[in-house]
Amino acid sequence: MLDRLGSGLKDALKKLAGKTVIDKAAVDELVRDLQRALLQADVNVKLVMGLSQSIKQRALDEEPPKGMGVREHVLRIVYQELVALMGNAAEVQLGPQTILMAGLQGSGKTTTTAKLARFFQRKGLRVAVVCADVFRPGAYDQLLHLCSQINVPCYGEPGNEDAVSIVKNGLAKHAGTEVVIIDTQGRHALEDDLIDEIIALNTLSKATHRWLVIDAALGQQARDQARRFHEAIQIDGVIITKMDGTAKGGGALSAVSETQSGIVFIGSGETIDDLERFEPNGFISRLLGMGDLKALVERAEEVIGDQDVDVNAMLRGKFSLRDMYKQMEAVKKMGPLKQVLGMLPLGGMDIPQDAFDVTSQKMERYRVVMDSMTPDELDNPSVISGSRIHRIALGAGAAPEEVRELLKYYKTMQRALKGMRGAGGKFNMQRMLKKFGGM
Amino acid sequence: MFDSLREKLQGVQEKLGFSIKKAEENVPVAPQPSPAPKKQEKKSSSTLVDRMKVFVTERELVISEKDIAEPLADLELILLESDVALPAVDAIVGTMRSDLVGSHRKMGTPVDEIVVHTLKHALLDVLGEGFDIKAYISAHERPVKMLFTGVNGTGKTTTIAKVAHYLKANGFSVVIGSGDTFRAGANEQMKTHADRVGVKVIRHQQGADPSAVLFDAVEYARAHGIDVVLADTAGRFHNRANLMNQLEKIRRVMKPDLVVYVDEAVAGNDAVIRADEFNAAVGTDAVVLTKADMDTKGGAAISIAHTIGKPIMFLGVGQGYGDIVPFSPERVVAELLGADA
Repeated sequence: MLDRLGSGLKDALKKLAGKTVIDKAAVDELVRDLQRALLQADVNVKLVMGLSQSIKQRALDEEPPKGMGVREHVLRIVYQELVALMGNAAEVQLGPQTILMAGLQGSGKTTTTAKLARFFQRKGLRVAVVCADVFRPGAYDQLLHLCSQINVPCYGEPGNEDAVSIVKNGLAKHAGTEVVIIDTQGRHALEDDLIDEIIALNTLSKATHRWLVIDAALGQQARDQARRFHEAIQIDGVIITKMDGTAKGGGALSAVSETQSGIVFIGSGETIDDLERFEPNGFISRLLGMGDLKALVERAEEVIGDQDVDVNAMLRGKFSLRDMYKQMEAVKKMGPLKQVLGMLPLGGMDIPQDAFDVTSQKMERYRVVMDSMTPDELDNPSVISGSRIHRIALGAGAAPEEVRELLKYYKTMQRALKGMRGAGGKFNMQRMLKKFGGM
Repeated sequence: MFDSLREKLQGVQEKLGFSIKKAEENVPVAPQPSPAPKKQEKKSSSTLVDRMKVFVTERELVISEKDIAEPLADLELILLESDVALPAVDAIVGTMRSDLVGSHRKMGTPVDEIVVHTLKHALLDVLGEGFDIKAYISAHERPVKMLFTGVNGTGKTTTIAKVAHYLKANGFSVVIGSGDTFRAGANEQMKTHADRVGVKVIRHQQGADPSAVLFDAVEYARAHGIDVVLADTAGRFHNRANLMNQLEKIRRVMKPDLVVYVDEAVAGNDAVIRADEFNAAVGTDAVVLTKADMDTKGGAAISIAHTIGKPIMFLGVGQGYGDIVPFSPERVVAELLGADA
């Protein structure tokens, strides 16, 4: 749905493409499309109005820098304004700290608490959690269960209805632990006694961070709720949950702007590892339904050193299995395939959910198969004969069919790269993906 | 709930009234000889001449699009601010526009009346009718099986406890099937709720097949002559094909009489997308909106009702078991537009 609006935005930008001077009507149209896109993404109405006003103003008043087209100029302003709105990604220190979780009922605090514990645990810190949700039945069982999966101690007192005393005992018990995360009961900002309770918890625990958990689907309410939570305990970070649905998380944006803090993490799945650090650029792109090519390129440059893949040799047609192996490694370093594809501007293309899993699983299998090849075979795949296939399959614990499938995949890749050379030597992502889709 | 929306809607009402009144003043009162009055022209041709014609001959007033453009834009913003999703906003404003533009009225009739009538019409159009669960259960063969669906964290489990409480208070016997076998602690949560409300709950251990649990619940109800089966399910996202298939299987196995979709009143535009997807996957017969006490502006009610055209059965309005109220569109609309509407 938003993708369609995103394309509307692109159309509006297209109209600006040929122009040498900025056309007021075109800017108006662009801003209107932007407004609709943002409103549909649940960004607060007042925020949207303020934003569009300043974009319009800047687009008409500022001279585009030399060498920059009108379209890029306007697009840049849109980006800058949105980034400014969002603030920086909040810092996460890897040191001793106490974190207090706050949020509405059902926003995902308990699950996120366990995910956070996992995050810090993987960074090599000792973590413990305290369950101060004394209201919802089963809350302690849920947290205990999640924590036992990752061997994190969880303190709670089922039956005790005084959250403050539980936290007091819990903190005393986990005194030597580096990171203590306190899960609290869901509340909304109109429940005065619950707000008093969280203020008391904050004072008692002297929490280093007070993070507000926001459901990506939360609408215009986000702003008011965030403001009141902020007034009560000075929120210094926001975690958006349920970003794996179709919601765009615009409500969280309002929350961030209201609390003058940043987004710390994004929860994007049901398992305990589905927690991502936040990147403003990618988030804006998702908000507007435009691919995040910039981040993809940056990330690719970061992980693919020159020694890793010789792009030029590849484009000259010298593409061996060894290159493919390196390429797979590089893609793996860039993150799950799903994320990488999510960054590409594939607005119209619908990639089935399970296609990702199959593909990344397959990649892993291919790697194993290639591990079983000799250097000679890797450099010069044409020597691989029937008996060699048999040997490779035995070595990798795979069926000969799998090895043949790999070789077929390799040939497709090779053809795809040749095709790219044909297209003016430019990296033609769309085409490459189409080729992959045929696999 | 709906408080802030009410205030704002009343603001628009006044504004609309004002601009229609202004349109009235603008019509020059020049008694010119006019040709024999033809049948009133269609809406689009409301030129000055036409308007004067009508004014003179019929002593009526035509409302033009221009007269109401600004208040309607205001209305649009107000609805958006109240979390009504964009498609629903377009529908409401569209109805308002087509009803108002070109409508004629006698000079004497009060402006408010037209505006209130049109707004009421537009809102009722979207909200549809309420759903009387008591009448439904009485009219149907027992046990009546109700399956609760929705995304994660909307409050399905709590809602089931509340509905059980409500039905019990109204003299029906109830059994709950704890079909959320995925989330850690869900079984314990359901059990605790059921114990407090005083209702039997059928459950297996975590990780069991929800279809089997719910089938057992239905069998239990049949064997013990129980009126209503309330079936809980794990929260799931509409874009997870496997989980939606599982839901489809549950529906096949337990054959619910009512599929109840649960969503939160604070949800924004996404409410529309997911309601639509759930409706497409397993169907929806009624809707329950939770967390309506969060100072909410009530937009989600309007959006969801507009998208899937299904009645809203209950509103969840607090943390206690009694905090659930049947939803009546007429009353809500009347409340929104002021008591006299």
